[in-house]
This record gives sequence, C-alpha cells and structure tokens, in this order.
Amino acid sequence: MDSAQADILAAREHLDAQGWIARRSEAFHHLPPPALPDWLAAHDDAPPLNGPGWTLGQGASGVQAHWLDAHDPAQRAELLAGLPRPGEGEAAPFAWAHRALCREGLRLHVAATPQRAPLCLQLHHQPRARAEAPLLVLDVAPGAHCVLIETHEADTARPAVAQNLHAHIRLGQGARLQHLRIAAPQAGDRVAHHLHVQLAEGADYAQALAATGSGYHLQRNHITLQGAGASARQAALLLLGSGQIDQQTYTDLQAAQCASQVETLVLAQGRAHAVANAHTRIAPGSDGASVRQRLAGVPLAGHPRLILRPHLEILHDDVQAAHGATWGALPEDALFYARQRGLDEAAARALIIEGMAHALLERCLGPGDGVLAEWLQGGWLARAIAQQLQPGEEVHHG
Amino acid sequence: MTHTTQPLLQVRDLRVRVGERTVLQSVSLDVPAGALVVLMGANGSGKSTLGMALAGHPSYRVDGGQALLGGQDLLPLPAHERARAGLFVSYQSPPDVPGVKNNLFLRTALNAVHEARGQPPLDAFDFLAGARQTAKELGLPEALLGRPVNEGFSGGERKRNELLQLALLQPRLALLDEIDSGMDVDGVRAVVALVQRLRAQGTAFIVVSHYLTMIEQLQPDTVLRLDQGRIAEAGDMELARRIARTGFARQAETAEA
Repeated sequence: MDSAQADILAAREHLDAQGWIARRSEAFHHLPPPALPDWLAAHDDAPPLNGPGWTLGQGASGVQAHWLDAHDPAQRAELLAGLPRPGEGEAAPFAWAHRALCREGLRLHVAATPQRAPLCLQLHHQPRARAEAPLLVLDVAPGAHCVLIETHEADTARPAVAQNLHAHIRLGQGARLQHLRIAAPQAGDRVAHHLHVQLAEGADYAQALAATGSGYHLQRNHITLQGAGASARQAALLLLGSGQIDQQTYTDLQAAQCASQVETLVLAQGRAHAVANAHTRIAPGSDGASVRQRLAGVPLAGHPRLILRPHLEILHDDVQAAHGATWGALPEDALFYARQRGLDEAAARALIIEGMAHALLERCLGPGDGVLAEWLQGGWLARAIAQQLQPGEEVHHG
Repeated sequence: MTHTTQPLLQVRDLRVRVGERTVLQSVSLDVPAGALVVLMGANGSGKSTLGMALAGHPSYRVDGGQALLGGQDLLPLPAHERARAGLFVSYQSPPDVPGVKNNLFLRTALNAVHEARGQPPLDAFDFLAGARQTAKELGLPEALLGRPVNEGFSGGERKRNELLQLALLQPRLALLDEIDSGMDVDGVRAVVALVQRLRAQGTAFIVVSHYLTMIEQLQPDTVLRLDQGRIAEAGDMELARRIARTGFARQAETAEA
C-alpha cells in the first residue's frame, strides 16, 4: 500500500470510528446533511460524467497552476502540502470524507506583479463523477492583488451529483483577493462547499457569493484573520425558488485592527428553505477590531422558510461590533414607482430584485470596472432571478 | 395654442380614501390636450392624493367617481397600464430604487411604453445618446445616469431626474407634484422650458405648486384651488396671485362668505 492509499484508508477508518455529523449538531441541525454514504459512494451503476473538473480561463498568465492526482503518492503530497489535517470540529466529518474521496486537485499560486495590477482569474468547475471531492488550493503572495471569478454551474443537463468541495485560500502580507463565487447546482444535486481562508497582516479578502438552492446545498466559510490590520468582507446572495441552502460563515479575528463584514440577502419563495448563519469571534487581544453582520430575508411568495442567525463572540473590550437580522418585503415605494413608469408587476419586481442583488455584491466587491463588473453586468443575475424567482402566489405568514 | 373641445382628462366626482380618512370628497376637473392646469391648495387639501389616486397607488382607494384619459376609463387599469396609456405622475419625493442604475431603469421603462405603443425598442446605444443629451439640457450631471436611481441624489437632482423621465417618456398627461420644490433658479427654468416644449407637442399638464414665480412663467390656462377634498375655486392667473397675496386661510373664508 502506498502513502496515498494509506492516507485514504486512514480517513475512512476515522469516519468509521467517529461517525457522521450528529443530528444534534448546532451548526447543522436546521438542515442536516445527507448521510455519509452519499458523499463517498461511487455510483458504479450510473453513466460516467464528462465534466473536466477545474478549468482555468484564458489570460491567466502570471499564475502557476498545477493539476494534481490525489491517488499518486508524490502528487498527493504536493497537493496537500501545508494544509491542516481534518480536525474534530462539527464540520470535520466533511473534511475526512474529502480526504477519503479526493481524486484530484488544483494548486494555484499568484505572484505579486511589479505594477501591483490585479491578476484576473476565471475558474470553472464541472463535476467529473457522481460523487466527488474536488480540492482547490490558492496562495496569493504578499503584496499581490488577484481577482477570481469561480463558477459552479450546471452548463448542460447531467445526472445529479454529490460534491464535497474544499478550498484553501491563503493571503500573504498585504495581499488582496476579490473573489466572486457562483454556485448554481441542479435541483437534485447535493453540494457542500467548504472554504478555509487565512489572512496575514494587512491582507484584504472580499468574497461575494451568489448561490441557488438544490436538494442539499451547503456553503461554509471559515475565515481566519491572523495578521494585524487584515480585513474580510463576505456577501452572500441566496436565490431560492425551491430547494434548500445552508450558508455558514465563521470568521475569527485573532489580531489587532482587524475588520470583518458579513452581509447576506436571502430571496426565497415557494417552499424553499434557507438558513444563514454568521458567527464572528473576536479573540482576546484584538485591539480596535471592527465587526459587522447584517442578515436579511425577503420572502417573495408562498411559504419559504428563512432562518437568519447572527452571532457574535466577543472576548476583548476595545472593539466595535454590530449585528442584526431583518425579515421584510421588497420596497413597495420603489415597486410602485417602477410601475408608474410603465413596467408591469413582473418586470418591476425583477428589476428591483436585480438591483438589490447588484447593490449587495457591489458593496462587497466595490463598483470597479474590469472583469468583475463585466461579469456582473453580463446577465447571469437576471437569468438566475428569472429562473428562480418567478412571480407566484402571495406570501403567507404565520 | 389650440385645444380640442373634448378634454383629454375628465375627472368626475372623484372620491378617494387613504386608510379610514376620505381625503378627496368630490373632485371634478377637465384638462384638454396641450392645456396646463395649476392646482393650488393648503397642506393636506388633497393635491398629492389626486396624483396618487390617478396613478393607481394601492394605498389610495377610490370610493366613487370617474377618471377618463382620452376617453379610456383609468380607474380599472393597473398602474403600469395607466402609465402606458399616457399618464405620468412626478413624485414630490421620488423614492430610491436601490442598486438599479438610472439608465437601466429609464431604458426599461421607455421600452415598456414603446412596446405598448407599438414602437420598436431602443438599444442601449441609441438610448444613451438621447438620455445624455436630454440630461444635459436639464442640467442633470451625466454621471447620475450610471448611478442607482435617486440614491444619494440631492433634492434638486431628484426633481431633475423626474424631468428627465418626463422628457423621455413623453406622456399625454403629466401631473407634476411640487416639481419646483428643492430646485434652484436654473432648475425652475428647465421645468418651464420642458413644459412649454411638451405642451407644444400636445402634452397636457396638471402642475401642483405653491410658488407664483414659476406659475407665472408657465402661463396656465386654468388655476384651481383645492380645499378639503373639493375644487373650491377655479380661475386664471389672478386667482394664483390672490392666493400668493392673502394665503389659503383667507381664500377659504372668502369662498364661504
């Protein structure tokens, strides 16, 4: 048995011994994930998928990219180098299942350019197997500035998948990453994306996520601000016409003068079920830390279930912190204003929703002009809103 | 200016409630095509209520009466169909439309109206050229076209933005609710110039205003005084001057005597 096989076997043995996520788990009790076999099964009786896995768009010069085979001992060692072993936390079973199933991964290294101009990456992932565990490792060198657009969309109809994806992102001193993530699985997919982000001194990370519902959909961020003056902004736009999504953000401020902002907007209808968890911890000694959480849910029609859970854990005195959760409706004055200018109800509603979505993403990523703005103006949001949030019955309360 | 004998807008005995309060008791007025009617009245007399009720705002419940635009009954129509029929109501306090770029909002509205009129839609390039030129004429900074509608706009910029919409949509009848409030001198000039241009093309106006300077420049055909939900008095510029001199309280006493 080689070292890769031994590592896989060890992960499976750990899962056998420790079991899957408990039903009483605080983080997962609102939307418990499917059982462990779903995340490991190979579905041998199903037709194979043709997805290429990770693909990197053109024009990504200045970045080192290595696709690595996790079943090859040497490549597995290179792929997992420097990554933490799965721990014992609530989500650890996902990490062990990932170790057990991971077949390949992509390592990216972004270097600083002399002009400090942003390096723009477009990264797309298409599933290669009915059950898979893709891995992404991204290192952004000190002083580098990177714009990353990461998309997970079902381009064509395919069998439903179970995807347990892990990404490790590390920003060096003074590095900056603007990260737009699109996660739009098929209705029957079971998807769990885990992002582990570490920020060194003065690093700046902005992540804007746009995600839609599916059979099971978890988006979990764990962001650690390790260096003084690091800052992180996270915005999540959850669009649910049906299905479910569990969005969890854990932000850990461990140094002085760090700043964190978390903003989530859930737009849901029908019988969709969404949970948005924001947990921010300010460690002892984090002088001058600044934290803000803002979660908003807008039920559009039918009986959607929206659960918003802001949570602050403050272990230091000299900090600024604010959090809140609001449930509301689309702004009626703006809706009527649009209708008085000639837009029918559906068009006015779509325009207002798209505006709210754009505003959320731009607050996180900044208005900018380059590739991010182009992508945001490219029509994906309008299409997703049209597909997910068709006008329907009135909202029912109670 | 020539007016057709059949009024473009005919309002008869309009009775409107907001919540439990009947704000308009019984309002009747006629506005021919190309005409300009100035509506004056004390605060709370029902001027804005008339605009919102005609526009079809769901908070303004019509309990009785009739409103015809070009012979078409407005009241059964949803708000967007009233707009497509040619009714434009400018807001006293235009709301923000968060995140929706002004040029996208305008183009979407314009194309909705074009479609209803059987006209081809404007592409982004053609629209922008026209919008920029019109914005310039109205003194609206071009940068505001690329910003979310009314977000962070000053009071005067919001009003100029209403004028931009008016100029592009070219309605059959426009009700301008205190369009001059918050406007500087150049803004008031822009209002007058635009109104004159559109009147010459046949657009009719109901202008709600408290300020004689602009009313005189607009050269209204009729001045109406609204009091306690009714048209209490109808006249010409002399009525507006009298109100400016003596105020609404004095006018109400005179009318009662």
